[in-house]
Amino acid sequence: MPDDAMTPRERVLKLFAGEKIDRPPCFSGMGNVTTEGLKKFGYKFAAVHSDAKMMADAAASTYKLFGFECGVVPFDLCVEAEALGCAVNVYSHVEDILYPTIKTKLVNSEDEMDIAIPSGLTERGRVPLMREAIGLMKKDIGGEVVAGAHVLGPFTLAGQVMELNTLLKLSFKKPDKVGKLLDKLADALIIIAKEYEKAGADYITVREMGATSDVLSPRVFKTLILPYLQKIFSKLELNTVLHICGKTNDIAVFMLDSGAKAISVDQKNDVAETRKKIGDSALLFGNYDPYNVLVSGTTDQVRETIKQCMNNGVSAVWPGCDIWPTVPPANFNAMMDEVKQYRR
Amino acid sequence: MATEERRKEILETLKNAVIQYDEDAAKEFSQMALDEGMDANDAIFNGLVSGMEEVGRLFEAQEYFVPELLMCADALYVGLDILKPHVKQLDLGIRGSVVIGTVEGDVHDIGKNIVKMMFDVAGFQVYDLGKDVPLDKFVEEHMKTHSDLVCLSAMMTTTMVGMKKVIDDLKAKNPDVKIMIGGAPVSQDIAEKWGADGYSPDATNALKDAINMISSLKKMKEEAEAKKGS
Ligand code: B12
Repeated sequence: MPDDAMTPRERVLKLFAGEKIDRPPCFSGMGNVTTEGLKKFGYKFAAVHSDAKMMADAAASTYKLFGFECGVVPFDLCVEAEALGCAVNVYSHVEDILYPTIKTKLVNSEDEMDIAIPSGLTERGRVPLMREAIGLMKKDIGGEVVAGAHVLGPFTLAGQVMELNTLLKLSFKKPDKVGKLLDKLADALIIIAKEYEKAGADYITVREMGATSDVLSPRVFKTLILPYLQKIFSKLELNTVLHICGKTNDIAVFMLDSGAKAISVDQKNDVAETRKKIGDSALLFGNYDPYNVLVSGTTDQVRETIKQCMNNGVSAVWPGCDIWPTVPPANFNAMMDEVKQYRR
Repeated sequence: MATEERRKEILETLKNAVIQYDEDAAKEFSQMALDEGMDANDAIFNGLVSGMEEVGRLFEAQEYFVPELLMCADALYVGLDILKPHVKQLDLGIRGSVVIGTVEGDVHDIGKNIVKMMFDVAGFQVYDLGKDVPLDKFVEEHMKTHSDLVCLSAMMTTTMVGMKKVIDDLKAKNPDVKIMIGGAPVSQDIAEKWGADGYSPDATNALKDAINMISSLKKMKEEAEAKKGS
């Protein structure tokens, strides 16, 4: 089947629906703004997080410039924590690319963990801005490619609203207390994710990188993290992806048990092994290194890596994390070309 | 004075208290060590620290993960707080002092905290600036504390470049300072190119390198002093 037999949008939607497609799509559920895209509009990175039009333009530019098969907002991981009441630093004084971070935490000690989810969450922080950005992006490129958004997983969000060291220790010492917090955060995430769906998102990626096996044991993942991921995925109707970076081979099966339609892993995952474990029909996205291959590799290395991902059995060619903004155009083009040439 | 048998028993209990992140036992037996006339230095290094070394091995073998590591460290600190004031200056063998932090724009501090812990364990004076640290702050803190060493951590390729500026500024202000950098995107190559004195892929090696660097620094100083004297 020639490549134009279906639009990139149809290909991805068919993939999620479990239908046959000609080749894996090449897209992502995480940020993929590039410095080339920012240059095109004359936008500063620090400015695109707080303006819906700029965010939508920047998100759509990766498709327009390189044919990347999606548009995704936002670019930072602070939206949900901000809506809950944390202050965010976007580093507006810096010319270089620095990603926004949480400036003030919501929970400062173990005693403050019993938080209440503020009412009117969908009107707080940048949630309205996100709604608008999704709408604008969808209008711009939504006929050709899928529109995506991402939220954090409850544990990773907990690490944004309180001191991570405390959270990590309590996840061991007082799992009940942590569980209660995760349950509330899961509720908040469901509300926000549904709002993104209403705004037109075709799929949503839940990023639970804080629970990677580089940090947490697979046992704690299963007992403490998984139940709240299951809660989230059971409540969402749109297409869903669960992403965890770092070491994930020992938790890949649990990730699938979360109820997400697809799971996403990074370059540290042995995808061939994971594919064997989860079977042929499960959707597995991954797993090229967005920095060490796509940014700093040669075009040959990019092609080799991408081919390897597909041979190892990924259902979609998809990065291990956010696309790194400084990706050289030649490398981006090489990746797209390699995927388009591939036939199963 | 505790008998040899009793000494062994207390050391073993302190070691296990750290491994099993038992803060109560660490507290109780550190106090007991003092009450029974044991040498504080002995209790620290052959008890608590020896436990932490085992914890490091368990972490590398992936039997322990970050939460366990942090809890073990808490047990260690409880013991250190009790024992440290009783260490005789002479055998403290102060290893040196270090300013450490994660550079501006970067909130990844799990790795940095582990490196910091290793320095604490080895008896360094540690000045922890935390994460997302404005670049000038490293220079300021170093000039204030006259630390032997400055350690920079970065987990992202974008924030990593901030390290170069800190290295240049530090070396301009004090050519003798030793600088060590680390974090996932950092490499030996980068460390050399940017003029850092050391790089290490993990916390255990970081400590070994630091100790080597500081002893060479001390030797240099001694030689310079000797020259002046003659
Ligand atoms: C947990 C995590 C987070 C947490 C951090 C919480 C915290 N307080 O630390 C949260 C969710 C907040 C987060 C946010 C982001 N993250 Co993040 N995160 C991770 C993750 C999953 C684990 C990092 C970790 O703690 N590892 C475990 C520790 C023990 O290892 P370590 O840090 O490497 O430390 C060891 C050594 O490096 C060394 N070492 C460390 N420091 C030093 C210092 C010295 C002097 C020496 C000698 C040695 C040394 O010793 C340590 C112990 O052995 C990694 C992926 C991964 N699995 O590595 C991504 C990762 C680091 N994140 C990444 C990204 C892109 C982000 C975001 C930009 C995403 C976004 N769109 O906003 C934001 C950054 C926000 C900001 N401005 O800082 C990328 C960075 C890509 C790159 N090459 O630059 C990574 C690599 C993911 C990926 N697969 O691409 N993240």
